Amino acid sequence: MAYYVNRNIKMTWWERLYLPEIIKGMGITSRHFFVNLFGFVPFLLGAKKERPIMTVYYPEEQVQYPIAYRGRPVLAQNEDGQPACVACGLCEIACPAYCIHIEPSENSGKQNQYERWPDVFNIDYAICIFCGNCEEACPEEAIFMSDDCEISMLDRKQMLYTKEQLLTPVADLQKRIEFTRNMYAKWNY
Amino acid sequence: MELLIFYPIAGLCIALALGVIFNTSPVGSAMCLIGMMLGLAGIFVLLQAHFVAILQIIIYAGAIMVLFMFVIMLLNLKEAASADWVTRSNNLFISIMTGVLAIGILYKIVDVIFIDKLDSPATLPDSFGTVATIGEALFTDFVLPFEVASLLLLAAMIGAVVLAKPKLD
Amino acid sequence: MWVDLAITFVKILFVLAITVGFFAPVLTWVERKQSAIMQDRIGANRADILGFTVLGLFHIIADALKMFTKEDFIPQGANKILHTISPIIAVVPALLTFAVVPFGGQYTLFGKEVNLVISDLDVGLLFVFAIASLATYGYVIAGWSSNNNWSLLGSMRTASQMISYEVTMGLTIVGVLMVYGSMKLTTIGAIQEDFFRWGLFLQPLGFVMFLAASIAENKRIPFDNPEAESEIVAGYFTEYSGLKFGMFFMAEFIEMVTIGAIMTILFFGAWHIPFLSTATLIGWFDFLGTTGSNLLVMLIQVGVFFAKVIFFIWLQMTIRWTLPRFRYDQIMKLGWKILLPLSLANILITGIVILVLN
Repeated sequence: MAYYVNRNIKMTWWERLYLPEIIKGMGITSRHFFVNLFGFVPFLLGAKKERPIMTVYYPEEQVQYPIAYRGRPVLAQNEDGQPACVACGLCEIACPAYCIHIEPSENSGKQNQYERWPDVFNIDYAICIFCGNCEEACPEEAIFMSDDCEISMLDRKQMLYTKEQLLTPVADLQKRIEFTRNMYAKWNY
Repeated sequence: MELLIFYPIAGLCIALALGVIFNTSPVGSAMCLIGMMLGLAGIFVLLQAHFVAILQIIIYAGAIMVLFMFVIMLLNLKEAASADWVTRSNNLFISIMTGVLAIGILYKIVDVIFIDKLDSPATLPDSFGTVATIGEALFTDFVLPFEVASLLLLAAMIGAVVLAKPKLD
Repeated sequence: MWVDLAITFVKILFVLAITVGFFAPVLTWVERKQSAIMQDRIGANRADILGFTVLGLFHIIADALKMFTKEDFIPQGANKILHTISPIIAVVPALLTFAVVPFGGQYTLFGKEVNLVISDLDVGLLFVFAIASLATYGYVIAGWSSNNNWSLLGSMRTASQMISYEVTMGLTIVGVLMVYGSMKLTTIGAIQEDFFRWGLFLQPLGFVMFLAASIAENKRIPFDNPEAESEIVAGYFTEYSGLKFGMFFMAEFIEMVTIGAIMTILFFGAWHIPFLSTATLIGWFDFLGTTGSNLLVMLIQVGVFFAKVIFFIWLQMTIRWTLPRFRYDQIMKLGWKILLPLSLANILITGIVILVLN
């Protein structure tokens, strides 16, 4: 849907004088300046905890990301410590950047054990594009996008995360699981 | 004391004036010319003519040379290819005339120097070279040349506008 | 004579210390901090020494260190000499203007008349104008010598913009000249002892136009077409790094101070406090003796002068962080079609009023 901006706005004579409008604009900015300037003083003296400013000191303060935020993908870990993944390889195929590497392992007939599980499950975050396709493709609710985005490193080799590093308890992912259930249920697959 | 300031400035002026001629890149020449203008302004200041010095800077260095630079950049003139001095035979008359003129000027300079007028600096009145006196002179004694000059400039301005304007039907 | 020379030397040192030593570095911090506060942000606060940040003031030192240690880069095919001297040409005029700017009145100290101006030229106002027009070369040459198309575009824009706004600036100065009848900046300052003879009231239109023209001369937003980041990389200083780049910035900040000082002298009552003449002030502190009272009044008035300068710097910064950049054709239109006729009309009206009042 194209969006058209009307650029032929008829300005009144007062607006075309330009100067009053400039002064008006400067009034707004200088109001912000003085309000913030004097709002800072009690904060700096320690009398006030809250700053009158919207921004955050990033590493010290952090905001809660919205649940739809796509951080690094992680593997869900069941209560008994095993990954929920069955090593079907769908995420590997769905991945447009080919950053997932899975080597499956199978049950050789033992009772009360998982049928299939990944022996090796690597995600290379240096390649990952955080598209969320793996999460969407997963039939077992095993891979989810977390809200963690602080994965910068000095060495690219360290960005290859193995299964042990990826595993995250299901309890921590509960909100995202509910969100994905709601979201993908609406899409008519 | 004044000579201490005069000789460096004069030397610099001559060096820069030579630089204008011998520089191969047009921008370098223009820069040398600007420097020379500033040097001339300095000499005017030494002669107690502050107003003329300032006008020298404003008009020549500040306005005209900026336009020069602007045009040089607009045409993107590169360094001149090795310059060959070309003389044509029909320039002989002009050459002779120029030579005569130069000799005449030199003779006059030598004449002035030998009269020893330079040695006796007259004491100047306080109002010499101030803006007020120059303005008064311009608008009383020299009002006709002043107005004629302004008329000339107006004509030049109108001419420029007419030349630049696309032709009207 | 030696005493006079020493006094002049002290004045030069004072001006250099306050512009290069104080205003230029502090303004880099002020610009960051003020823009941040105006936009509901926090601003520079990371550089610290032993955990103390002092509102981010150490960023000045960090900036200086960065400028000093960066590689001094000259692009291939550039004119080395011009590339090197152009930042110097840019800085020098900004500082030179202060030679004629009085930052205080005339005081009797230890039986000697001291005039707080380095050189009280008879053509002071024209000197300011002449030096301002010389500043163009630094920027023009910088762009040309860089051997870079964006730089060349930037310098062309500089040249055309500065020529256009010099006209307005000169004609506005004529208006001021007609009102005060003198080109001496000290005289103009002294006349404004009377609050109702401030240039702001005598030349309101001239005030606005001079402010606009001088911001355009300084090439700050909204007139920053020569360095328009979103159009031509960084304009004339695209190819500069390290200290040379820093010098361009220093020139800009010093010029802000200069503009503030000139505006204060011409339009804002110079070093005078409204409704308080110098004689009254000296009368108040008469019990300190001639030298003592004069010294105290001198300190007060220099303080008042620089307070006004700081106000104008604040005003320029507010304008810079409020308005968007003009388009190139809009700048030319404003300069030639609006400001030039207005300044001519200003001269005409001023002349008529003076004629009628006499």
